[in-house]
Amino acid sequence: MTDRSIPAGELAPEGIYPPTEEMLREPVPEEVQRGQKERLARVWKTPEGWRYWTAVNNSEVGVWYTMTAFVFMLIAGVMALLMRLQLWVPENDLISADLFNQLFTMHGSAMMFLFAVPMFEAISILLLPGLLGARDMPFPRLSAYGYWSFLIGGVFVIGSILFSAAPKAGWFMYPPLATLELGIGSDIWLLGLSFIEVASIAAAVELIVGALKCRPPGMRVNVMPLYAWYVLVVGGMILFAFPPLIAGDFLFELERSFDWPFFDHTRGGDPMLWQHLFWIFGHPEVYIIFLPSIAIAAMIVPTVARRPILGYSWIVLSAVGTGFLSFGLWVHHMFTTGLPNISLGFFSAASEAVVIPTGIQLFAFVATLIAGRVVMTLPMLWIAGALAIFTAGGLTGVMIAIAPFDWQVHDTYFIVAHLHYTLFGGMVFPVIAGVYYFFPFFRKKMLSDRLGRWAFWLIFTGFNITFLPMHLTGLLGMPRRVYTYPEGLGIDWLNQISTAGSFIVAAGFAVFAWDIVRPKKNQPQIERNPWGAGTLEWSHEVPEAKWGVRSIPHITSRYPLWDQPEIVERMDAGRYYLPDAEEGLRETIVTSVIDARPIQVQRVTGPAYITIWAAAFTGGAFILPTFHIYGPAIVSAAFAVVCILYWLWTSTARPPEKDMKDVGLGLSLPTYAAGPQAVGWWAVWITMLGDATAFASLVFGVFFYWTSNTAFPPPGAEHASGYLVALATAAFAAAWALTRGARGLNRAGRVGLARGALALAPLMTLAGMGGFILSVLDLDPTSHVYPAMMWALMVWIVAHGLVGTIMQGYCLAGSLFGKLTPRYDADLWNVTLFWHFLGLTALVTGAMIGLVPRLM
Amino acid sequence: MDRSDHDRQPHPREDEHEFAEERESLWRITLGPTIWAFHFAISYAAVSVYCFRFERMFEMGWLRASLIAMTLAMLVAIAWIGWRAFLRWDVRGTGEFSNPEGSAEDRHQFLGHAGFLLALVSFIGVVYDTLPLILLGSCR
Repeated sequence: MTDRSIPAGELAPEGIYPPTEEMLREPVPEEVQRGQKERLARVWKTPEGWRYWTAVNNSEVGVWYTMTAFVFMLIAGVMALLMRLQLWVPENDLISADLFNQLFTMHGSAMMFLFAVPMFEAISILLLPGLLGARDMPFPRLSAYGYWSFLIGGVFVIGSILFSAAPKAGWFMYPPLATLELGIGSDIWLLGLSFIEVASIAAAVELIVGALKCRPPGMRVNVMPLYAWYVLVVGGMILFAFPPLIAGDFLFELERSFDWPFFDHTRGGDPMLWQHLFWIFGHPEVYIIFLPSIAIAAMIVPTVARRPILGYSWIVLSAVGTGFLSFGLWVHHMFTTGLPNISLGFFSAASEAVVIPTGIQLFAFVATLIAGRVVMTLPMLWIAGALAIFTAGGLTGVMIAIAPFDWQVHDTYFIVAHLHYTLFGGMVFPVIAGVYYFFPFFRKKMLSDRLGRWAFWLIFTGFNITFLPMHLTGLLGMPRRVYTYPEGLGIDWLNQISTAGSFIVAAGFAVFAWDIVRPKKNQPQIERNPWGAGTLEWSHEVPEAKWGVRSIPHITSRYPLWDQPEIVERMDAGRYYLPDAEEGLRETIVTSVIDARPIQVQRVTGPAYITIWAAAFTGGAFILPTFHIYGPAIVSAAFAVVCILYWLWTSTARPPEKDMKDVGLGLSLPTYAAGPQAVGWWAVWITMLGDATAFASLVFGVFFYWTSNTAFPPPGAEHASGYLVALATAAFAAAWALTRGARGLNRAGRVGLARGALALAPLMTLAGMGGFILSVLDLDPTSHVYPAMMWALMVWIVAHGLVGTIMQGYCLAGSLFGKLTPRYDADLWNVTLFWHFLGLTALVTGAMIGLVPRLM
Repeated sequence: MDRSDHDRQPHPREDEHEFAEERESLWRITLGPTIWAFHFAISYAAVSVYCFRFERMFEMGWLRASLIAMTLAMLVAIAWIGWRAFLRWDVRGTGEFSNPEGSAEDRHQFLGHAGFLLALVSFIGVVYDTLPLILLGSCR
């Protein structure tokens, strides 16, 4: 029996690890296996009928996610075809200039926000548990919530074009065009895509925690699949790249809705701030799209070469290195904005430096292929096409990274050609390769080899016919985003070739799409490992078993199916960990970050409607303000909060029925974790890192205005009340101290005092919020960007304070109703972590509102 | 070579223990690129602030000189990080260029190798980003 005096989160694993060969050799009796399978099947059963949509398992959500992103891509592709038809002849009047503007804006926005980034998340949700031999992701309901948010937001954004209400200022929404534009197009872009960005960050949190904490026992960082390395890097990049855009959207929407002049130069604002915030997001985003797709290549190449990857460490280097360097490139989108040449030089240099890690990974693939015995399978054909096209795009990239060259071709079709070469070669082709390669894994059927080759040659030739001439079209001077062009510039025939080529690409996609959706009922059952691969996902069961892996293996190699004899038989027999589900709960094993030693059994959540409701109400909170309907939007936000609280309360960090569980092979693991041991704590930490980045972007804004505008703050400007700011900051500090104190008191068993602290803390938070509101109340945010910026900081801290009070109340309720006790205190650990960040945010806000402007 | 580390019991509070054991190398693999990031951000911010606010007040010479001095210090730091990582990789001791085994020893050497390569790329990146300071003498 476990010692009841130790907090449940401090319990240690007991028993034998790692398993010995004799233990693994011991057979599992038939009837035991049968019973285990029955229980596992019952627990992991997919809901049937209309309840099917309540599923949260990664194998369902991943498929919905992938298919939705694919449909959005096809729609955005049709928009491209319409544009190509319009450009077929000079002076064409097939579609109006206004519709053309909507089409190119939506084409770019949808391809980036509704296809490329979500596709990474979708594929990773689908594959990662298989690659890691986990039963599911650590937070299945979070995946489902992310998916439903994506679906609602995506339909809203892309549907706007049917009402001719779509955004039309280009996919990067430059002010002043986009701030001055009438109609709701820009609002749809800002609010709809912000909503989707939130879903992206949710997915990033899920994937990072999955790759760090849900690996099978023994899978140390130096043997984990390269795909997992890429997921880690890209997840980290999302955390630092998306928040600046969210901060930018926040300022932009405040300007559109309330006329706060952040980007209006007549009142001290500066449109350049938007360009900076957008491209601090926008350039890393290119690599956020590229890296996971090239990760698919890193999985396919060793399989077709029939040998382990060459230069594993080199590929890790290039993933991590690219992740860092890609944050030093953003101004190369702004070479023509008149920034000092010496500043451009830094970005030009970094743009050339990023070629080094990017090149290294391609060379590692080529070296692996040369050293192996290549079988030219269909997925490899697509990878080969990807390498060819991406290299061409990379070479034009080296050219336009040189500022004087870019001045010549900026905003011409040369750029259009360049970006399509990098995105087709770096994303579309590898992803299609991945679909052919992994289809047998997630659908247990093969796609057609013949149709696949047709699709490849149509898309490959069509692509080059469309985009190769565009280099010349651009050099001849055709600007991008014009809806028509006059005769006699020498670009008529080039445009006709491009238009013809685009329809060949479309034909290729039609073949590909047909191959995916055509009925496959009568196809023979596939082999279990059709490509002869060495990684863990190919231990999957055919026909499909919903439990993921039958038992979670002990891994000692990068290619366990090649190197660890009998691993699949032993997994199937339930010889390894967690072969059963006696308690009728969905479970997976949590391991340590570096060496993947088993540390905990994590109970994961099952099917639920609540995630759909939460997503729908969150959607309302973002979508209604587009139409300036603020009351119902606030109500919708409140309902979303209630849904999320219900979901957390009923299914996360509940005290378990027993503290330790026998997971097989003589090992017992704790069933509860708190603090840095718990996956939830990691999720809060990662989320708050993203949140802090968004806040840092706002602070950057203040300093940006100070450097770019000699009158910031304007001479004689009224400042926020210093006393009130100081009081508000002190109140936040007190709320932080009370929360932190409550954690210690609770664990020490002084429950009454802890409850007192948790009751007092929200009052202090409310006082702090009130202090910040009152301190800026006399400033007029529409008069100048300085008061507007102070108000924006106030809105940020007040919104976070609101979340902080809800969390404190949640813990108080947990303590009163027995969910949170001195032994089971994970919630309080997570809330304290949130408050560490919030306390720091309040301190900085106090300094930025009360102190810094007086010194500027 | 020591492969016996397979066989250690999971420790209570395993993560904290592991971080204590390998904290340096975990951070070290990103240390080189982090220095690059600071170098980049400081150079860009300093030059921007100078060009927008102080260009008319004084010459750029001292700013360039101090930034280049900072660069030299950072290059030394990256070289030192790279050298330490190279020692952890221990390619001369073991003769192993890659470390694919699921043992603590291989994980240790792998992190050394990755840290070494990242230091190399960061070094090149810092050199690249210093070129504008050397080649261009003014804001324009």
